[in-house]
Amino acid sequence: MDLDTVKDRAGPREFSPADDLPEEYRKAATRMIEFHANSEIMGAYLERPFIRQAPSIDRKLACSAKVQDEIGHGQLLYRAAESLGVKTREEMLDDLANGDGKFLNCFHYEMTDWVETPMIAFFVDGAAMRRQATLRRTSWEPYAHAMDKVCFEEGFHVKHGEDILRELMSGSKKEQELTQAAFEEWWPRIIQFFGPTDDKSTHHDFAASVGLKQQSNDQLRNAFLDQYIPKARSYGLEIPDEPRIRELDDGTYEVEEGDLDWDEFFTIAKNDYEPGVGQINGRKAAQEAVQWVRDTIESDATAAGGHAPQAAD
Amino acid sequence: MATSLENPDELDERERRALETLLKRLADDEFVLAERYTEWQVRAPTLESDLALANNAQDELGHARLWYDVLGDIGFEERELVYERDPADFRHSTLVERPFEDGDWADAVLRSYLYDAAEEIRLESLVDSTHPKIADRVGKIRSEEAYHLEHAQNWLERLADGDEGHERLQDALDRLFPYAFTLFEPVDPDVEEDIVDLGLRDATLEEMGEEWLSIVVPYLESLDLELPADGRVGDGTDEFEFEVTEEMLPEERGRDGTHTDAWFDLYDEFTRTYRELGRTETTRIMDKPE
Repeated sequence: MDLDTVKDRAGPREFSPADDLPEEYRKAATRMIEFHANSEIMGAYLERPFIRQAPSIDRKLACSAKVQDEIGHGQLLYRAAESLGVKTREEMLDDLANGDGKFLNCFHYEMTDWVETPMIAFFVDGAAMRRQATLRRTSWEPYAHAMDKVCFEEGFHVKHGEDILRELMSGSKKEQELTQAAFEEWWPRIIQFFGPTDDKSTHHDFAASVGLKQQSNDQLRNAFLDQYIPKARSYGLEIPDEPRIRELDDGTYEVEEGDLDWDEFFTIAKNDYEPGVGQINGRKAAQEAVQWVRDTIESDATAAGGHAPQAAD
Repeated sequence: MATSLENPDELDERERRALETLLKRLADDEFVLAERYTEWQVRAPTLESDLALANNAQDELGHARLWYDVLGDIGFEERELVYERDPADFRHSTLVERPFEDGDWADAVLRSYLYDAAEEIRLESLVDSTHPKIADRVGKIRSEEAYHLEHAQNWLERLADGDEGHERLQDALDRLFPYAFTLFEPVDPDVEEDIVDLGLRDATLEEMGEEWLSIVVPYLESLDLELPADGRVGDGTDEFEFEVTEEMLPEERGRDGTHTDAWFDLYDEFTRTYRELGRTETTRIMDKPE
C-alpha cells in the first residue's frame, strides 16, 4: 500500500497486521505506541514507592493494583507496537534502559511525598484519559484495541486519585497546604503534558493525516482544562497565577506559552533532565540486577527449542 | 464453650487472648510478606513475572485484611493493628520481614515456597475452626494460596536447572531456612496450647512443623539443594528424617516480639506518610466485610 492510499483510507481501526503498510506509517505508529508503552512503565516506576507509603491497607492495595495495571498496559502496548514489525519488545525495553526510549514529561520528575500521588493519579491520568479516549479511534487496530482495556482501567485510577485528593483536601490544614503546594509544583508540568501548541508540534501533521492521532494538542489541552479546572477548584485547590490561562468567548482556553518552561520541556524530551536520568538509570539498574533470571529463562527456551515458557510467569 | 467463640461479648479472657494471638500470627505474616513482595513491582525479571508477583502481593494483603477484620470484631481498629502499633508487638515470623538483596529473585521464589508450603498446612488446620468466621474465610484463601505454591515451584524448578540459579537458590536457602523455622514458633506456649484446646486450630505448632519438614525437605533435596547438616538425624537411611534443634533457630523469632533490624526500618517506611501527615485514623479495614 502506498502512502496516498493510506491517507485516503485512514480511519478508525482501519489498518491491521494483515495490511502491507509503508515504512513511514509503520515507523510513525511504532514511535507513538512505544512512547505510550514506555510512559506506562516509567509512570509505574515513579509510583511504586507509594505502595509502601500508603497510609492505609486499603490505599496500599489500590496503589499496588494501579502499578500492576500500568505494567499490564505496558505489556499490551509493546505488543501492539511489535505488531508493526519495526522493533521487538526487547529492543524497546533495551532502548528505555539505555536512555534512548522516550516517555511522558511528567514521569521525568521526582515524586517524594504522598500528597503528590493525586497529581499523577488524578491530573496526569485524567489528562492521559482524554488522549487515550480519542485513540480508541486510531487507525492502527491493535493500538485501538489495547486502548479499550487501558481506558477501562484508567477510569478506576482516576477515581482512586480523585478519592485521595478529596481525602487530603478535607483533611487537616497541614494536609491541605501540602497538597496545594504539590499542586502548584505539578500544575505547569501537567499543562505541558499536552506538548507545545499545534503550530510548534513536529509530529502532529503526519500522524493526523494517516489517522494515528485523532485530536491536536490544543484540542486535547482545551478539553482537559475545561474539565479539570472546575474539578480542582471544587476540591479547594487554587489554580496558580502562572501560567496565565485565559478563557475565551467560545469556551476554550488559551495558555500563555511564555509562562511555561520550554527549555526544561525540551531537555526532558531529549532524556537529559537530571531527575529523569536518575529514574531511567534506576530502572536500568533494577533490570540489570535480574538479567541473570532472563538469561536462565532464555537458555531454558533454547534447550526446549521454542519460546520461553510462560507457565511460571 | 465452642459456640461462645462466635459472640465477641461472651469471650472470657483466655478465649480472647487465644483468638487474638492466632489472628495476629495469621494477619501479620500475610501483611509483612505482602509488603516485601511489593518491592518486586517494576523490578521483576520480566513484565509477566512482575504482574504475577504483584498479584500474589495483593492476594496476601487481601488475606491480611480478612484476618485483621476478624480482629475488628473483638474491638481492634486498623490504626492500632498496623499504623500505630508498636513494631515490637507484631507477631509475624522473621522469615517474612527479611529484606531482599537487589535482583535476588531466587530469594523471592524460595521464600514464597517455604511460606506457602507452611501456609497450606496452617490453613488446613483452620478448616474446622470453632470460630465460624475463621473457618469461613479459609476456603477463599486456600484456593489462592494453592496457586502461589504452584507459582513458586514452577520458578524453583526453572532456576534450579541453571548453574547460576542453583547457586543463588542454595545461598538463599542457607540464609532463609533458619528463619523459616520460626513460622512454627510460639507467641506464648500457654496461649498456643489454648488455641488448640479451644479448637480454634486443630493442630499444634509441633505437628505442623513436622508436616512442613516432611514436605519441604524431600522437595528441596529433589532440586539438589543441600539442607543444613545439623538437622539430619537417624542413620541416614530415611531421607525425610530431619529435626529442628534450638541451636538452628535464629535469635529473632518474630512470634515472641523479637525482630531483625530490617523490620524496624520497614515499619518506619510504611508508617511514614501516616506519621508525617499526623493522621489519627485510616480507612476502615474492609469496606464490605463479608
